[in-house]
Amino acid sequence: MGQDAFEITVNILKMAIIFLMIVQAVPLLVWVERRGSAFIQNRLGPNRVGPLGLLQLLADAVKFLTKENFVPEKSEPIFYYGAPIMALIPATLAFASIPLSVPIEVAPFEMFGRTWGPYTFLLQGYDLGIGIVFVLGISSLGAYALLMAGWGSGSKYSLLGALRASAQVISYELALSLSLVGILMVYGTFYFTDIVNAQTGPLNFHFFGKQVVIPWLPNWGIFFQPLGAILFFCATFAETNRLPFDLPEAEGELVAGYHTEYGGFKFNLFFIGEYGHMLVASALMATFYFGGYHFPGLTPASVSAFWSGVVDGVNAANILTSLTFFLILLAKIAFFLWVFIWVRWTLPRFRYDHLMDLGWKTMLPWALFNTVLTAVVMYISHK
Amino acid sequence: MLTVNDYLFYILGAITALSGLGVVLLRNPIHCAFMLVISMVGIAGLFAALNAFFIAAVQLIVYAGAVMVLFVMVLMLFDLRHEVKAFSKGLASFILKLVTTGVMLGLLIAYITHTFSVDPSFKPVPTDPQQSMEVTKEVSQLLFTRYVFGFEVIGALLLIIAIGAVTLSRISGGTHADS
Amino acid sequence: MSALLAILILALIVALFGGALVWLSTIAGPKVRKTSAKLMPYECGLPGQQARDTKISIKFYLTAILFIIFDIEIIFMYPWAVSYFNFMESGMGGYILGAMGVFILLFVIGLIWEVKSKALDWN
Repeated sequence: MGQDAFEITVNILKMAIIFLMIVQAVPLLVWVERRGSAFIQNRLGPNRVGPLGLLQLLADAVKFLTKENFVPEKSEPIFYYGAPIMALIPATLAFASIPLSVPIEVAPFEMFGRTWGPYTFLLQGYDLGIGIVFVLGISSLGAYALLMAGWGSGSKYSLLGALRASAQVISYELALSLSLVGILMVYGTFYFTDIVNAQTGPLNFHFFGKQVVIPWLPNWGIFFQPLGAILFFCATFAETNRLPFDLPEAEGELVAGYHTEYGGFKFNLFFIGEYGHMLVASALMATFYFGGYHFPGLTPASVSAFWSGVVDGVNAANILTSLTFFLILLAKIAFFLWVFIWVRWTLPRFRYDHLMDLGWKTMLPWALFNTVLTAVVMYISHK
Repeated sequence: MLTVNDYLFYILGAITALSGLGVVLLRNPIHCAFMLVISMVGIAGLFAALNAFFIAAVQLIVYAGAVMVLFVMVLMLFDLRHEVKAFSKGLASFILKLVTTGVMLGLLIAYITHTFSVDPSFKPVPTDPQQSMEVTKEVSQLLFTRYVFGFEVIGALLLIIAIGAVTLSRISGGTHADS
Repeated sequence: MSALLAILILALIVALFGGALVWLSTIAGPKVRKTSAKLMPYECGLPGQQARDTKISIKFYLTAILFIIFDIEIIFMYPWAVSYFNFMESGMGGYILGAMGVFILLFVIGLIWEVKSKALDWN
């Protein structure tokens, strides 16, 4: 985490900022969801509070905070209060392990009369060599937030909703993990930064001993693993309990499922967790299959040279370079978040047995087929 | 001089050990199950403190994320009032539990220390964190060359477990049949 | 310092933030007036109808057990996937494909048996 005080402070601030990114993304996403869904359903969304209704969620947050804090009688306080907190942790820890941009190289500079040496700041919370395995491990702990909420509410319906939700989550975790095996075979590493850096340049691959280069297509993962990408994206819908897989939160059946008995801000914390998982899923989709923070035609060297010509000071140029690539990744993440919202208001909800059948009998075999196909194709084309 | 890694190890070890004690000493089975979850996460943290990040993540995925979810889900399916009443309370039983766990812990520590004194190469040595990927590839190298038979046997074993679990759930009768 | 410390610090930050929000929602807002309607678990607005002992399906147990089994098999595929290319380059590609092929065959047999025996048919 750093040798001297400056680096340690910056690293800790960086982690706090990454967490706050998720928290701040929620009001924006809810606004986009309400306006977007209104647009899809041919009505106006919130447009009274603030310009374009942007302050709507701030008003909602204040309203939630001042709601009465009732606790159902048969609940267990430690689970009841612990579940919303537990819902935040997996999403944040997973998001912090994804690289958001090229590292910032800071040349030695003067401050407070001391020379602070050359640093390299990564734009991620921590740098793990086992990136994706860690994300999967942490996401599998997300099932506990559901179970704690269901049990802590002391109601039979909440418990049933929580059990169904966690059964759904673990079933689709299988399809999620298996659909990633294909892309791991192509890139041969778990490390996110290596996977992103392998997606630069034009599309090139080995084909029966010849090197094929297609200059007008970027070297993105989606061209190597189209089936894997579709399976992965569908599995993340189920993991985050988003429609069309949100039966655990279905209105008519179990009231609100595992968060029936939650009022006020605790309810909101579950939604921060859900949108956090959406953010992680979009970031993973962009990192694995769409080139991460790279854009065809731009390399870190060329962008850095551009900014060096505009501003003077090598540190400012490096910061602007990282910012540029971060904005590229942000644009891709925003696109996938919009797809999440778009699908939610377009498709009808799945029935629970259809949902489980889809996970076990359709997606798992297809993911297995994808793995075997990738292995065989790689073997043949390498000979 | 204790490094940060040493402090981390002691804190994580304390968390793991205390939550393990909690599994044994708590009354409500669901509390015990969650204490076991914390213990599993603590063990994953200890693996990470030794820089075995891949094994730590696999521990999280398999133990904390699959096996314990099974435990917690199944415990929530039951009516646990009988279990809570059947828990043995009181000072004598508490001391007996502590003594039994202490004796088993002592045996374990004696065995481990003896093994280290006989063959020092068994001591875990933290690997270089930058080499995580190379270490994983070495693990897979070993797994598929020297231990490939054990690997295939595990596949067969998992198949047998799957068939057995489904078959067992189909059998009617048993001790709680008419409740 | 390792990534572990960073992970623990971030988890602590998130837990403190969540705890602060939960505590804030506890002290803010009007005092709870305990009416029996609020204390009883919510059941579509009708007064409590919960039977004492209800049987919940055994399918949850089966789903969880089968999840463990297939999850372990997928975990075994992960080191294979990342070292697949290295194996191919060192000339052992066919062998490694065959070794994992046997494993995947056992996986597929398990999956087929599970589907055929209708173990996970929810109705």
